[in-house]
Amino acid sequence: MAEPPTEARRAFLATLTAALGAAAGALALIPGLGFLAGPLKRATIRGADQPLRVASDREVQPGKPVRVIAVGQRDDAWLRLDHVTLGSCWLVRSTEIAPVRAFSTVCPHLGCGVDWNEKTGKFDCPCHASSFDLEGRCLSGPSPRGLDELDVHADGHDLLVRYQRFRNGTPKKEPIG
Amino acid sequence: MSVGPAPAPPSPESPRPAGRRAWLEDRLGLAGIESAILGGQMPGGASLWHALGSVAAGLFVLEATTGIFLALFYAPSVTSAWASVAYIQDQLPFGWFVRGLHSFGSSALVVVAGLHLLQVLVFGAYRRPRELNWIVGLALFGLTAMFALSGYLLPYDQKGYWAKLVEATIAGSAPAVGGAVQQIIQGGAAFGNLTITHAYAVHALALPAAFVVFVVLHVYLYRKHGPTPKWSLSAEQIVARTVPAWPDQTVRNASLGTLVLLAVTFVVVARHGALLESPADPTSSYVARPEWYALPLYQLRMYFEGPLEIVATMIVPGIVTTLLLALPFLDRGRSNRPADRPRVMIATGLSLVALAALSTITLAKDAHDPAFIKARAEERSKGESARKLALKGIGPEGGLAVFRNDPLNHAHEIWDERCSGCHALSGTGGDKASDLKGYDSRAWIRGFLENPDGSLYMGPAKLDKGMKPVQGTPEEMDALVEMVYAETGAPDADAARAARGHELVPQKDCDSCHDFDAESENTGPNLKGRGTLAWVTAVIKDAGHGRLFGEKNKMPKFETKLTPAEIDDLARFVLAQKIAL
Repeated sequence: MAEPPTEARRAFLATLTAALGAAAGALALIPGLGFLAGPLKRATIRGADQPLRVASDREVQPGKPVRVIAVGQRDDAWLRLDHVTLGSCWLVRSTEIAPVRAFSTVCPHLGCGVDWNEKTGKFDCPCHASSFDLEGRCLSGPSPRGLDELDVHADGHDLLVRYQRFRNGTPKKEPIG
Repeated sequence: MSVGPAPAPPSPESPRPAGRRAWLEDRLGLAGIESAILGGQMPGGASLWHALGSVAAGLFVLEATTGIFLALFYAPSVTSAWASVAYIQDQLPFGWFVRGLHSFGSSALVVVAGLHLLQVLVFGAYRRPRELNWIVGLALFGLTAMFALSGYLLPYDQKGYWAKLVEATIAGSAPAVGGAVQQIIQGGAAFGNLTITHAYAVHALALPAAFVVFVVLHVYLYRKHGPTPKWSLSAEQIVARTVPAWPDQTVRNASLGTLVLLAVTFVVVARHGALLESPADPTSSYVARPEWYALPLYQLRMYFEGPLEIVATMIVPGIVTTLLLALPFLDRGRSNRPADRPRVMIATGLSLVALAALSTITLAKDAHDPAFIKARAEERSKGESARKLALKGIGPEGGLAVFRNDPLNHAHEIWDERCSGCHALSGTGGDKASDLKGYDSRAWIRGFLENPDGSLYMGPAKLDKGMKPVQGTPEEMDALVEMVYAETGAPDADAARAARGHELVPQKDCDSCHDFDAESENTGPNLKGRGTLAWVTAVIKDAGHGRLFGEKNKMPKFETKLTPAEIDDLARFVLAQKIAL
């Protein structure tokens, strides 16, 4: 025969039910959330850190930025790609004898691709109208910093760029990945 | 003696609670929701038997939760399915655990749903007026089976691929519409990307939606008609023992659910998650077996060959399904007592015995079949090596491309870069040193002994005062070849013949240049252990060592140019050229 259902007993059973339910939920949810947070602990996208040949220095004329792509190796979660476009950059030279500089095409505001405007002689972001001069300085618009400069090395006439991405939307230039 | 007070539904006359609760009550009608969810009664008392349905529902929630987590990382395509599952399993934190819960949780769901069905059969709970809820329950059972079938393929490993292939072919064998059905399942005439996207959409979108609809219907009808009390209780006892489902029954549901979950967790941890075999290889001959719950059907098919196969694959399952669906309309007796329903009970009992017997036959046969055991062991080690190789990342061809990460392939690259300038393989490569295709094989050794300055051997090295050709009767040559061959450690070397070779060494003047003691230095290499991994490793490191080629050596030292791991890979690559002949 069942016990008289005192309020205390009912409350105890109700609490026990809730506790078991919560424990069961936690068993699936906690590891699940740890699983979900995996990419925070270990980069899922990793690229080669070495300089990549992007162009010959003869292709870069003073005052005429050239857009080039960086092709290299990248790990993307399970996938390993040996020759993939990692991104693009603008190669800029101010005078005939000045060294070539490289700026990422990624706008530091929200990540759109900046374009060279020949008429105004400025880099314009097509999304939110930030504009930048040939030195990469932000002239107008919402961008929190100037264009992100990338390391360039010259190997004979070959230009090698170490392609990197940076966190967008912050005044500080912080590499990611 | 007890009758729990049921929460009364709110009525306009009842006094209203005050405060926040009242505010919510006015807007949401919480009391109505509460009574709809928790207000059920358990006529005749609560029991663990009545917990099975809730535990099955709880397992479905587990499947849905873990399934959503898995879907965040899974990529359904021929090239990415296996690779993404291997990534989940071996590279993401708790990935193996979440996948393990999903996989073993589904087995637990089949078990619990089966027990629930059995309980309903024994309690007579399918009978009037619950006929439609019985049918809804069977539909849920069918959906569970479809979940299992569609989910099995998704990792696109060997077992998933071959099991699904067999199922699709069975569907294709159906009269008239079979071919079309098979093409729809596969998303085309053969297995490919669309087979996986179809299975995934069905598994992760269509089936969950259908399942939820049927669960809502099932619970609604359950609450409408209430649970079926045990047959042995009299009408008075049923009334007297009635308790509210909350919390008397719910605490049983939660307790049994927790036990089942603990059991699932134990299996997951003990096995470190669910099995992932090597990537699907349509060119292999995989020994396919279905998941445990489909073994009876697998074994049943064994008894029906050729045109009769359809009896096992469709007619028997079709008849059983029809009988189950029709059961509440066939069993129209007045009592729920099992003794009053002998035909149903006997049919149920015989079915269980048949299911168990059929499964046991397959399991027992496989357990004693050396070929099956060997195939499984090979598959296990292949799967393990595939998963290990996958840690290095998988190329865009996906799946089987993982084997490109094999050290032998890596070694091939080193070979091309470092060795092929001088050495050749089957004539491809440099012309300054020996051709190593078949190195360590009897044929290569024989060719060397007969003509050391031949174009495949030391000829290209243009040694000053190299080895002179060995001459002897065919029997003597065989013995000398076997002697050198035995040094490679080959298991098939003939010891007696090799010993005969050693007798010939002084007579053939081999010992004026060669020793066989692993220590002495002489003009020719010390032949002890020639062709073993250690020997080849030593040659790659420093072929000019006194025990090896000494002053006659022209090969560079690679000890400082390659890492020990690269040298090891390369040595294994050279040894692998034996079978490549």
